[in-house]
Amino acid sequence: MSNIHGSLGELHALDALAAGRTTVHRLHPLAKLCSALIFILAVVSFGRYDFLPLTPYLFYPFILMALAEIPYGILLKRVLVALPFCLFAGLSNVFFDRETAFTLGSVTISYGVLSLLTILLKMYLSVMAALLLVATTPFVELTAQLRRLRVPMQFVTVFEMTYRYAGVLLLETRSMGMAYALRSGGKRALEMRHMGSFVGGLLLRGFDRAERIHAAMRCRGYSLRTVPRAPRPLRGADVWALAAIVTASAVLRFVRLF
Amino acid sequence: MHMADALLSPAVGLAMDAVAVAAVGVSAAKIKKDDLNEKKIPIMGIAGALVFAGQMINFSIPATGSSGHIGGGILLSGLLGGFPAFLSIAAVLVIQCLFFADGGLLALGCNIFNMGVVPCLILYPLLFRPLLKGGVTAKRLSVASVASAVIGLEIGAFCVVLETLFSGITELPFSTFAALMLPIHLAIGLVEGLVTAAILVFVHKMRPEIIGASLAGQKLAAAVPVRKVAVVLVALTLVGGGALSLAASGSPDGLEWAIGNAFNRDDPEAGLGQFEENAALSSVAEGAAGVQENTAFLPGYAFASDGENPAGTAVSGIVGAAITFALACAAGLIISKVKRRKNAEASA
Repeated sequence: MSNIHGSLGELHALDALAAGRTTVHRLHPLAKLCSALIFILAVVSFGRYDFLPLTPYLFYPFILMALAEIPYGILLKRVLVALPFCLFAGLSNVFFDRETAFTLGSVTISYGVLSLLTILLKMYLSVMAALLLVATTPFVELTAQLRRLRVPMQFVTVFEMTYRYAGVLLLETRSMGMAYALRSGGKRALEMRHMGSFVGGLLLRGFDRAERIHAAMRCRGYSLRTVPRAPRPLRGADVWALAAIVTASAVLRFVRLF
Repeated sequence: MHMADALLSPAVGLAMDAVAVAAVGVSAAKIKKDDLNEKKIPIMGIAGALVFAGQMINFSIPATGSSGHIGGGILLSGLLGGFPAFLSIAAVLVIQCLFFADGGLLALGCNIFNMGVVPCLILYPLLFRPLLKGGVTAKRLSVASVASAVIGLEIGAFCVVLETLFSGITELPFSTFAALMLPIHLAIGLVEGLVTAAILVFVHKMRPEIIGASLAGQKLAAAVPVRKVAVVLVALTLVGGGALSLAASGSPDGLEWAIGNAFNRDDPEAGLGQFEENAALSSVAEGAAGVQENTAFLPGYAFASDGENPAGTAVSGIVGAAITFALACAAGLIISKVKRRKNAEASA
């Protein structure tokens, strides 16, 4: 349970980055959401051996990261999370698809290797697009935008509260875990037979806490029907940025450089 | 079990996204009708947060020395009822996708279906609740939890296999993939079922009204809507699949491109011509059959065996890609450097 502190930090790391004030941060959330989605669609629509035509798409994460002043390390660590499953699926291609694609000097590159590389590149690009969206858009703005897009408020509110309570419950878990470890002679992991009462206890405490917090919020005028802040209109810069990304994605999709 | 964007085709991804959107819409509408709406939402939030916290709790699995963690669909359904549980799980999956890169943005639909719709909207009403019909006891609760968790995870894993295969990104044969995924998730499901059972039994012992209310709430709502959800889901899948396959057959992109490319990387259109000549296809129908036949063992007749040596073009392509990569890096570095200098000047 020692990693709880780490995951608490991880949970809020992106939100902290989103508090920046760069050009990218100032773009309208709708523009950022749309461009991320269209970028991912364009990337994913490439064929399985299209490693080379995909490389120009690297400009998107590299330029955005630089413009938004986001350190590489934080995002790279998360990209690795998506790695195992993609690697597994990609490696299987290496074994099943041994036809030679081309030779470079004495090295033969098979179609399997080519498709593995393509999968990994697609993974990097799509994951980065999603991460860059949250790393440059504050959580509050993101959910406000979802509301304006008429996503059911029940869902958006649950989404917000899950995010907020995750930190609270992680802290609670940490103190319960420490108490358990101290009383059980320093066991590292929970025993299976204590799982029910441990998580159940955590849950009941959490329920009570949620009710108290909700009551307190209601006392201060919170309601599901609270009118959200007036939306910021789309500015010229937002439209230009969106148009540039969409055009670039589309052009690179249909006009092949390599 | 989280699927990534890189393993999905846009058609499969978008079709499943449509299904997920419909499921979220229907569930939100169901909850809205419920009078407890306002009070229930914070509870749903904390339940979603529990899934996170739960993933941090390692427990030792007896006699194996390994450790596992909990997933949650059936657990939340037992605590909240199917529709609210589904919304919580969907929220958790969106957060995992956005903040932890666990599952992609396009793949959200697939993940929400495999881990949300399957346990909360299919297994909970069809298996979990019927098993508890005769009244809630610890034994029945345990049986229902284990059975639902195992079957839910198996169906979910099978959906992962199907979605991956329909996307056509990996070469893994169907049987091999299924034979890998299903046994692993049988074991995971068993552990998850036992943990779910333990938690639900504990909560039932301490606060029987929580589980009673979730079952009762579901009972009020379950009459028509489950069928409606199913109809909507099936319709959306059919429409999505149909429209997309039409688009696929109509466009000269995708499949034909791949074939053309395999024959002649320089000029795919000429390659496609070569392919058609080679195949000596007279009718359209035969052509389609030929395309299918050839894609099955498609990967490149041309290159290595072909005398016209495409290695040269491959090299130029690779050099071009390397230059692109270098340029992208350079662009990033230059912007960073300029910004850093500017920031330093501003603060000085």
